[in-house]
Amino acid sequence: MTRSMLEVILGWYTGFMLIFFFAINSYYLVLTIAGFWRTIRVFKEVRRPDQRRLLRSPLTPPVSVLAPAFNEEANVVENVRSLLMLDYPLFEVILVNDGSSDDTLGRLVDAFDLRRSARTFDPALASKPIRAIYESPSYPGLVVVDKVNGGKADALNAGLNLSLYPIFCAIDADSILESDALLRLVRPFVDSPGVTIAAGGVVRVANGCDVRSGQVRRVHLPRRSLPLVQIVEYLRAFLFGRMGWSTGNSLLVISGAFGLFEKRAAILAGGYATDSVGEDMELVVRMHRYRREARQPYRIGFVPDPICWTEVPENLRVLRRQRTRWQRGLIDTLLRHRAMIARPRYGTVGMMSLPGFLMFEMISPLVELSGYLLLPVLWMLGLINASIAVAFLTLAILYMILISALAVLLEDIVFRRYPRILDLGRLLIGAVLENFGYRQLTVWWRVRAFWEYWRGDLSWGVMERRGMGARAG
Amino acid sequence: MAPVFALEPLSNAVIGLAGAVILLAVFLILQRSVSELRRRRTSRREPLLTKLLYDALQSSPVCPEPLLRLDRGDRKLLRSILLRLALDLRGETGEAISELYRVLGFLERDLAGLGSRCASTRAHAAADLGLTRSPEAIPGLLKAMNDGDVRVRQTAVWAVGQVDDPSILNGLVRLLGDRNRLVAQRAQEVLAERGREVADAIVAYAETTSSRSGRLAAIELIGWLRLTPGADLLLEFMGDLDPEVRVKSVKAAAAIGDPRFLESFSTGLGDSSWAVRCQAAKGLSLYGSPDTVPGLTRALRDRHWWVRFYAATALAEAGSFGAEALQEALQDPEPPVRDMARYLLERAQLVPALP
Repeated sequence: MTRSMLEVILGWYTGFMLIFFFAINSYYLVLTIAGFWRTIRVFKEVRRPDQRRLLRSPLTPPVSVLAPAFNEEANVVENVRSLLMLDYPLFEVILVNDGSSDDTLGRLVDAFDLRRSARTFDPALASKPIRAIYESPSYPGLVVVDKVNGGKADALNAGLNLSLYPIFCAIDADSILESDALLRLVRPFVDSPGVTIAAGGVVRVANGCDVRSGQVRRVHLPRRSLPLVQIVEYLRAFLFGRMGWSTGNSLLVISGAFGLFEKRAAILAGGYATDSVGEDMELVVRMHRYRREARQPYRIGFVPDPICWTEVPENLRVLRRQRTRWQRGLIDTLLRHRAMIARPRYGTVGMMSLPGFLMFEMISPLVELSGYLLLPVLWMLGLINASIAVAFLTLAILYMILISALAVLLEDIVFRRYPRILDLGRLLIGAVLENFGYRQLTVWWRVRAFWEYWRGDLSWGVMERRGMGARAG
Repeated sequence: MAPVFALEPLSNAVIGLAGAVILLAVFLILQRSVSELRRRRTSRREPLLTKLLYDALQSSPVCPEPLLRLDRGDRKLLRSILLRLALDLRGETGEAISELYRVLGFLERDLAGLGSRCASTRAHAAADLGLTRSPEAIPGLLKAMNDGDVRVRQTAVWAVGQVDDPSILNGLVRLLGDRNRLVAQRAQEVLAERGREVADAIVAYAETTSSRSGRLAAIELIGWLRLTPGADLLLEFMGDLDPEVRVKSVKAAAAIGDPRFLESFSTGLGDSSWAVRCQAAKGLSLYGSPDTVPGLTRALRDRHWWVRFYAATALAEAGSFGAEALQEALQDPEPPVRDMARYLLERAQLVPALP
């Protein structure tokens, strides 16, 4: 290949990169504006009497809380206690012990005086065999299912089969819900019964917080930079990404850690896919697909104020596993439902969110990585001015910092969960730090996920937890 | 290769963006500092204002003199304290709060807010007027019930329901069939709390309305409020062609538990809709009568899990005859029937729990 040919190819690719750069930044800008506007709007609408109204209203539907657990002996008792204390008129907690090899079940049996039950259920969804069902005379709203290990999706399907109520809330057994989180999240179901089929809520980072008796007592920022950066990332993702997409009824992801679904709609769509590592996103996309194909009106909402706290990875190894898994889940879901992409039949989902996710969530790490590799090559070949390259990189970084700072601002105006003024400074530092090393690492992991997906890797990896009972630093 | 970008505009963009980031950071810190100052002032002034407020409320008639001399910031805080108290207090104190709210001029402000161009302001004004339960607010709220914005309408419906005046509840009954579902729901919620005061109007509405959704909502209310005057109507609706009307009617009847429903429930066990069969079995569980056992035993073999579940529950509550039927079902050739019988017997502690 002659040098001039190489120059032409690189020139074209650079042009593509520039177009991509403007497209992705416009994408973020639109989501930011939509998320900002909608969060403020929802916040203004929600008033104190509203919570009371929902607590008393006969129209507030009963909810089955499904919590799959695998080797959670350290926190499971505290977490179930906190679930049983939720402020909600009528609910049941179904904890599914997904073949834990530790003493998760034993601790639950002892703590809640569980007894074997002959409870039957309607096996609407397939799942691995159930070894036993436990109920407690002291806690009538608690059911513990002990089953053969089959993964989170399988455990959720088993829990779904056993649930008695028309709405179910899927949460991680290690997550902590604020006492009124369920009441806030159910609002879209009360406002549009039969139309709302799912609603997601905000997940926040619990690392560093003071957690006692299964409740977040005081909110603190973690001392370590890795979880700090993830806090900023979560704020951006939930307040802008998810709120933004929910504006046009095109939300594709409801976090597996905290989401509310209409049971019938989930079962009709086929329940959770047991062969996917992104089962939460996959179910939401399938529910969209089912409803759009059946031409039935529906709504998938997102409520910015309910809060679920979760622990995020504190070391790079665990973070890598988590991020590659998320990316594999994304690739898997988009490929499974590729027939929906750019098809007007699927409305905003097919024409906007799926192409957006394809370009700016799935493919963007490949483009970004190629950009990092290409810049020095272009510079060495004398095809790019070093000052322009540096200015361009700086522009990209400043743009991301601006969006993160806007997320912090929105958090502070609307929720103010971080009480000290110093916390704001630290969050802003996190917004800056994120761009130097962290972002590039996550890009690399997301690229690696393509390779893992190609190899058919369906593993989850183990989330190492420090335990939320202790102050994480 | 020609450069796509010149350095100068790029540098300008960098400087502009950096400026925006810095400005945003400064704004963030400033707005936090200002709200922190406000918070401190609030926590400093609140105990004092609350004391003044209690003094004013406890004097008879309400004596607002010291409160009238407060500055703008304190008045704002005072208003929020009053609204918070109004949320929790009813009876004489509630009336005193309402009176104080009026005397201090807040009521007038809210009434003016109902005429605002901004829908959000109108909705907030309606919500605050509802909290204070002031009769003077009724004309404004009734007008707001026809507002063009649905949020204002539903808030006004809720607010009207808070005022202690049964005559206006009749107006809410008509809203059960409102074209907007949110408004209709809000009316239903208010009536679920206070509908006993207008029981006849609800029953009459269920009987005469041409709105399907309105009728269904009224039937639900008859069940929730256990309105016995609606029993005859429910008996009639249990034979309706619309399965949803039948389901809601059977459910409402099961909540009332009138002996006249027994036969209809038994018939309902053979309904083509599983939801009706389910509710009928649930209704039969209220009677604990041996007469219900044959029908429920048949329902134990229903193909739908929920019907089997409610039939077994009803049998477990039907005394010794029901328990006997469940014991017999333990020998049934169909595993789902056996399992359900075992579960309910275990729950009723009639068989030992599984090891």
